[in-house]
Amino acid sequence: MTIIGAELVSLNTFPRILRAQCMKYGDKKVAMRKKEFGIWNKYTWKDVYENVKWASLGLVHLGLGPGDVAAIVGDNDPQWFWAEYAVQSAGGISVGMYVDAHFSEIKYLLSHAEAKFVFAKDQEQVDKILEVKNELPVLQKIIYWEAKGLWYYDMPLLMSFAELQELGRKYEEAHPGAFEAGIDKTKGSDIAALCYTSGTTRATEDGIARQKGVMLSHEMLVSNARAWLAIDKWYDSDVWLSFTPPAWAAEQILGIAGCLLSGTEVNFPEEPETVMENIREVGPQFLFLSARLWENYASSVQSKINETSRFKRFMFNVFLPVGYKYAQAKFQRRRPGLLLRTLHGIADLVVFRPLRDRLGMLRLRSGFQAGAALSPDTLKFFHAIGVQLRQLYGLTEAGLQTAHTIDDIDPETVGRPLNPDWIKISPQGEILLTGPLTSRGYYKDPEATRELIDSEGWLHTGDAGYINERGHLVYYDRVKEMVELSSGKKFAPSYIEGKLKFSPYVKDCMVMGGPDKPFVSAMVNIDFENVSDWAEEHRINYTTFVDLSQKEQVYDLILKDMERVNRYLPDEMKVRKFVNLHKEFDPDEAELTRSRKLRRKFVENRYADVIGAIYGGKEGFEIEAPVKYRDGRTGVIKTTIRVRSVL
Amino acid sequence: MADNRIALKMEDIHLSFGGLKALGGVSLEVKEGELLAIIGPNGAGKTCLMNCISGFYRPQKGRITFYGQDITRMPAHRIAGLGVARTFQQIELFTGLTTQDNIMAARHVFFKNGALQGALYFGPAHSEEIRHRRIVEEIIDFLEMEAIRKKHVGALPYGQRKRVEMGRALALEPRLLLLDEPMAGMNLEEKEDMARFILDVHDAKWTKVIHQKPTVILVEHDMGVVMDVAERVVVLDWGQVIADGTPEEVKANPEVIKAYLGVAA
Repeated sequence: MTIIGAELVSLNTFPRILRAQCMKYGDKKVAMRKKEFGIWNKYTWKDVYENVKWASLGLVHLGLGPGDVAAIVGDNDPQWFWAEYAVQSAGGISVGMYVDAHFSEIKYLLSHAEAKFVFAKDQEQVDKILEVKNELPVLQKIIYWEAKGLWYYDMPLLMSFAELQELGRKYEEAHPGAFEAGIDKTKGSDIAALCYTSGTTRATEDGIARQKGVMLSHEMLVSNARAWLAIDKWYDSDVWLSFTPPAWAAEQILGIAGCLLSGTEVNFPEEPETVMENIREVGPQFLFLSARLWENYASSVQSKINETSRFKRFMFNVFLPVGYKYAQAKFQRRRPGLLLRTLHGIADLVVFRPLRDRLGMLRLRSGFQAGAALSPDTLKFFHAIGVQLRQLYGLTEAGLQTAHTIDDIDPETVGRPLNPDWIKISPQGEILLTGPLTSRGYYKDPEATRELIDSEGWLHTGDAGYINERGHLVYYDRVKEMVELSSGKKFAPSYIEGKLKFSPYVKDCMVMGGPDKPFVSAMVNIDFENVSDWAEEHRINYTTFVDLSQKEQVYDLILKDMERVNRYLPDEMKVRKFVNLHKEFDPDEAELTRSRKLRRKFVENRYADVIGAIYGGKEGFEIEAPVKYRDGRTGVIKTTIRVRSVL
Repeated sequence: MADNRIALKMEDIHLSFGGLKALGGVSLEVKEGELLAIIGPNGAGKTCLMNCISGFYRPQKGRITFYGQDITRMPAHRIAGLGVARTFQQIELFTGLTTQDNIMAARHVFFKNGALQGALYFGPAHSEEIRHRRIVEEIIDFLEMEAIRKKHVGALPYGQRKRVEMGRALALEPRLLLLDEPMAGMNLEEKEDMARFILDVHDAKWTKVIHQKPTVILVEHDMGVVMDVAERVVVLDWGQVIADGTPEEVKANPEVIKAYLGVAA
C-alpha cells in the first residue's frame, strides 16, 4: 500500500510513468479490468505495457511521428487508454472525441486537429468517420477495436487494433528497443492531449458548436494529478470506475493521470447501459459521475423508496432526518452530540448501509462531481445516506483547481482551492486562475488564447463566483449566464434549476428571467420514467411523452415542486409561471452541449413562442416543433402546450 | 452463391379447421440462403404456414421437405433438431427465467451430458456448460442485451422480449430461421434495430455459432420493413399464393394492391 512511489516523483510524462509502474508491478498486479461476454477480464500492468508497446510501434510503422495527432472515439475501454498511451509514447498527441458527436462535429474536429489516425471503437463510430473521410486529406488509418458489424468492410483505410499490434511486433523485430527509446524522448513540456471544450463559448448559426482544442501538456496533467493526490490519498489497492468520457479533461487528470500515478486499478463498465449494475459488481472506492447522473441516482432512490414495502418506506422516512442532521454537523465541522451519534449508528446499520450496498457504494470513499453545478440538495441527500459526494471545480483550460476535502465539505460551495495563490476574483465577479496547472491555450488559435490568458498570466474562466469566509469557492454560473432581474438584482438561473431538478419528476429545466421579463418562469422536462410510474400508480392514462407531459394532473404534480422551491427563494426570484415541454432537451438538436449543459441562448430562440406565451399571459397555445434525429432526418411534432401559474 | 439448392419445398399444402379453409394448396420453394418474406392481409394463412413448417400443425394434404427429407408428419422437436428454429407472433418465452437462461434453455438440445452429470457439475459437464454459456454470451452481445442479461423476461418490455426470442432461436444454430412478425408492436427505432439484426443474421456476419448463411423466412405485416429487407416476397391471400417475386415486382402487382386495399388500383 504505497502512495506515490518515490521513484515516480521525477517522472513527468505518461509513458515514463507507465514504464515505471510496469517495472514495479509487472504481472503481479491488475491495472485494468473490463467486463466482456459477461466476465471481468483482467489486465496486469505488464499486459497494459505490452499492449501499448505493440500498438505504439504499429503507429510508428504507419508513420506517426512526434507532434502528430491521433484521435480516439469510443466508450471507456482499456483500448481507449492504450491508444492514448501508444500515441504519446511515440511522441504524438491524442485527442478524445465524444461518442455521441454528430459526424459534422467529428469532421470539424478531425480536420482542425489534422489527425492522421483515428481509433474508433465500433461500426457506429467508424461509419461516422467514413461519412466524412473524403474531406480529411491527412487521415491515414482508422483503427477499430470492436469488430462487430465491420467484417465485410473491405477497405484499406480500416484496420483492427490487433492488426496494428501485429505490425508493431514486426517493427520491434526490425528495430529492437525503438519503443523504449521513444519513451526516453518524451518531455514534460510536450503536448500530451488536446481536449476540445464542449462549446459553451462559441456557437455558430448552423447550430454546430465550433469547439476549441485546449493544449494539455504532460507536465500539466501530471502535476495536476500530483497536486490532487497530495490532498486526497489514493492507494494501489483502490478501484476507480471509469465512466466519464476520457475526452473530458477531468477523466484525463483523475482517471488517467491519477490512477497511473497511484497505481489505482481502473475498471470499465460493460456497456453504458449497464453502468449501475457494474458499479455494484465492482464496488469502487472512487466514482466520478456527472451532476446529471448523481441527480438520476438520487431520483431513482426516491422513486424506489416510494415503490417499496410500507415498512421499509417507514424506516427510511424515520431515519433520513437523522442522516440529514448528522451530515449537517459534519458540514459545520462540529462533533455531533451523543444522542445523534447513537441514532445515526442505528440508522446507518438499519437503513443507510443496506441502501449503499444496493447502490454499489458500500466501499465508496468518495464520489466526485464537476462540470455542471450540482444542487446542494442533491449533495446533502447523498451525505445523509452516507455517500461522501464531493464537488470539484476545474476548467479544461486550467485543470482541476478546487475541491472539497474529505473533512471539509460545504454543500453550497465547490471546495477549497488547491493553492490559494492560484485563484482570484476580478472586480466584475469573474473567477481568474493562474499557476502551473493552467494550459498553454488553444491549438492553432492564438487569438482566442490571447483572449483567454491576459498579459499578467491570469486565465479568464468566464465563470462567476466568489471566495467565502471559509476560504471555499462558491460557483454561481457562467458570467454571461448571470441574469439581471427587472429589480436590478442579479441571479443565477442554474441555481433554481438545480433545486428543481432535485425532484424525481423533473429531469431537466430552464429557468428564465431578466430585465425584459417581469417575473421568473421555467420550462420543464418531466422525467418520463418516474412520472409514468407515478401516472400508473394514480391510474392516469397516457399515450406518449407528449401526452403525459400535458396532463392536468402532471401539471399539478410539478406545481408542488415549484411551490417547494419557491418557499426558499426571495420574492423576486420566485418562479411565477411554468410549462411542461412536449420533448426533452437534446444534444442532437444542439439544445444541450455534449456534456449536457443547457445552451440557453439557443433554447431561448428555439422556444421563443413558448416564452412569448408565458409572458404574454396566454393559457396555452399550439406548437409545431421540428425535431432532428441522429441520422440526419427531420420531422415535426404538433401539440398544445399549457402555461401554468404558480401562486 | 455456391449453388441453388432447395432448402425447403412445400407441395400443395391444404390445411383446414373444420369447415374453415386456412391453406388451399400452397406450393413454395425456398432456396438455401434466401431471405424470403411472406406477407398478406390478416387471416391470409401466414402463421398457419409457419406452423405447418415447424410441425405445430399437420396439413391434411400435401408434402413438406427440408433438404429432401420429408418433415410433413414429423414431431416439432425433431424438426427443431434438424435445424429449424422459429420465433412466435405471440411471444412464447419462459417468463420466470432470465434472458440468459431463456437462451441457455435452447442450447440444451446440444448437451451431451445427462441430467445427473449436469447436476453434479463436474468434469466434462462443467466444461460443456462453459462452452455453451460462451455461445449464449455471444448472442447477448450480438443482440445488445447486456443490460437485460439477468432480468426476468416477464418484467421486460415487449420489444426486448422479441429480441430475447430471436436470441433463443439463434441459439439453436438454425439452418432455417422462421420469424413470425418479429417487428409487430415495435416503435420505429426498435424496428430498425431488428431489421439490422435480421440482415446480420442472414449474412452470418456475427458469430461462431452460425457458420453458413441461414435461410430466413420472415412473416411480416409491416410492408415498409419487408420491402427493405427481403430478397423475395410471397403474398398470401385466403390461403393462396397470389404473388411471388422481388419486392419491386410484388409492389407493382395489381392482385396484391387489391388484396391489401380491397379495390382494384
